[in-house]
Amino acid sequence: MSETELLRSARFRQAREADWRRLEEILERSERRGRRALGFDDARDLATLYRQACTSLSVAREISLDRGLLDYLEALTARAYLAVYAPQQSLAGVLRRFLSDAPPALRRSAGHVLLAALTMILGAAVGWLLYLQDPSWYGVFVPGGIGQGRGLGSSTAELLKSIYGGGDHRVGQLTAFAAYLFSHNTQIALFSFALGVFVGLPTLLLCLYNGLILGAFAGLHVERGIGWDLLGWLSIHGVTELAAVAIAGGGGFRLGAAVLFPDRMTRRDALRHHSRDAVKLALAAALMLVVAAGIEGFARQLVADTTVRLAIGWGTGGLWLAWFAFGGRRRAEPAR
Amino acid sequence: MTAAAGDRRARRRLERERTARKRGLALELLPPEGVPIRFGVAGLGARIGAQLTDLMLCTAAVIAVLVLLGLTVGGTATTAVGALLFFAIRTPYYIAAELLWNGQTLGKRMLRLRVISADGRGLTTHAVVVRNLMKEVEVFVPGTYLILGAADGPIESLVVLAWVAVLVAIPRFNARRQRIGDMIANTVVIVQPQAVLMPDLTAARAPTRERFVFDATQLDHYGRYELQTLEQVLQSETRGATGTRDQRRANLVAISRAIRTKIDYRETVADDDTVAFLRAFYAAQRAYLEQRRLFGESREDKFHRG
Repeated sequence: MSETELLRSARFRQAREADWRRLEEILERSERRGRRALGFDDARDLATLYRQACTSLSVAREISLDRGLLDYLEALTARAYLAVYAPQQSLAGVLRRFLSDAPPALRRSAGHVLLAALTMILGAAVGWLLYLQDPSWYGVFVPGGIGQGRGLGSSTAELLKSIYGGGDHRVGQLTAFAAYLFSHNTQIALFSFALGVFVGLPTLLLCLYNGLILGAFAGLHVERGIGWDLLGWLSIHGVTELAAVAIAGGGGFRLGAAVLFPDRMTRRDALRHHSRDAVKLALAAALMLVVAAGIEGFARQLVADTTVRLAIGWGTGGLWLAWFAFGGRRRAEPAR
Repeated sequence: MTAAAGDRRARRRLERERTARKRGLALELLPPEGVPIRFGVAGLGARIGAQLTDLMLCTAAVIAVLVLLGLTVGGTATTAVGALLFFAIRTPYYIAAELLWNGQTLGKRMLRLRVISADGRGLTTHAVVVRNLMKEVEVFVPGTYLILGAADGPIESLVVLAWVAVLVAIPRFNARRQRIGDMIANTVVIVQPQAVLMPDLTAARAPTRERFVFDATQLDHYGRYELQTLEQVLQSETRGATGTRDQRRANLVAISRAIRTKIDYRETVADDDTVAFLRAFYAAQRAYLEQRRLFGESREDKFHRG
């Protein structure tokens, strides 16, 4: 059949079909084995052929009524788009970027983190004072799971035993307790971050509540005269863990601030903008919680001396602070 | 009178169909190339299926780790450690998979789904992290909380249950089927496009075209919608897709009769020639409509004049 006998749209298709088939073949390979598997020629052609397919699609939409062709081109262009605009980061690159991007994000939200920390300290002070006024507040603040039977009824010896991990503890109980306490603070961190969207109120309440528990717990031990021992027991992992809660809370406040004070953006845009930093805060908090869990699971059971416990706890705290204060600076400055 | 009423009814049905197709959850992106690309938004059933597949994989991983650690005895300790491990395996798995496999986890891969960024740019690390962290907050952590029975009382359980139910239901009520996490990360889950190029129906052998000749008035009746419907019927005939041979044949004969009556085609067409006639009519009609379109008159359907 001669060329002129064909419809315009059919001729259009005939002239380009070979290119589309080639693009399809490249896509097939890149979808199955990843774009790294493409050779130089294929990778170069992918970009060119994708742009050609875009043009074909927009022409076909104008001149052709061939549904089969249109659907094919839509799908082909969509697939090519996905292949061309695929994320190009390796996992190592993502990790490296996080490590250098998190500290600046934290420095930018220092005020919010401080607010979360102060809320917790305020909660702790109130919890302590209330406990001193009337010990029955202890039962109100400290949930059964965390206290693990440690409460007003426990003798000082019992309290001490749980601080230094006495011999009658079985491994199973220790693991369960570690998991329990860990998951409590993880939950607080997670929710005070995520619920921050509701103008920061839940974050405020959760931080306050966490402080209250700590205060009452500390009050009980200080009253019995074993405050120093408790400080060691808490510090070894608590410095990291509570700092993580404060950072997560700071992220929550950041989100709440975006909703409350969107500045000149719409609330949705403000939320998206602030979430860039807030997510880094959440991830930093998650990293710290994992480290805290590690310390809690191994170091606390092994190290029974209060001074060493304090040294380890505040030492790691200092390391975190150094990372946040100095991390990612070198990369940020020449960029500006 | 009745013909007009029938016409009106047919038109209404057509409009309903069209809005339904439009609501058939298409997402139009504008990539930097400036040509809008359409994607089909994934249905909730497929997404839940993908999630279940992924969760099963993660559960298998958790069980494997627990067995390796020797923590096979039941009890609260194992459950708590298991829940923690589940969290520690699940979240990085989702994030790493969606980053490395361009928006697909293994479950999504099996169900041919993909996460894309709704702004027409590539999927960023940030978006992937946000949508998966929010998934934890929306569903998984409250779900774990419920399953472990950690809630203090029935009221607390109900609150958590309501939270999960509301957040799972949210995608049902927006056109892009976005979770809260999708909204914040500005991502959409789409169906992986499949490209199959059907042969062009007008590229048929010449004799069939010369045998049936149509004049301009006969081609004035139908529009794009009817043309493409006819195309679909003919394509499925060449593929031999649905129904038995006789059913398809009877269907085609009925269609060709309806067309001949409508366009007032005088010559008789033998039943054996039905396919040839329909192909010839399709080619002539498409040539005519594409011609009109080039001159700026696009006919959407047979009601184009009204």
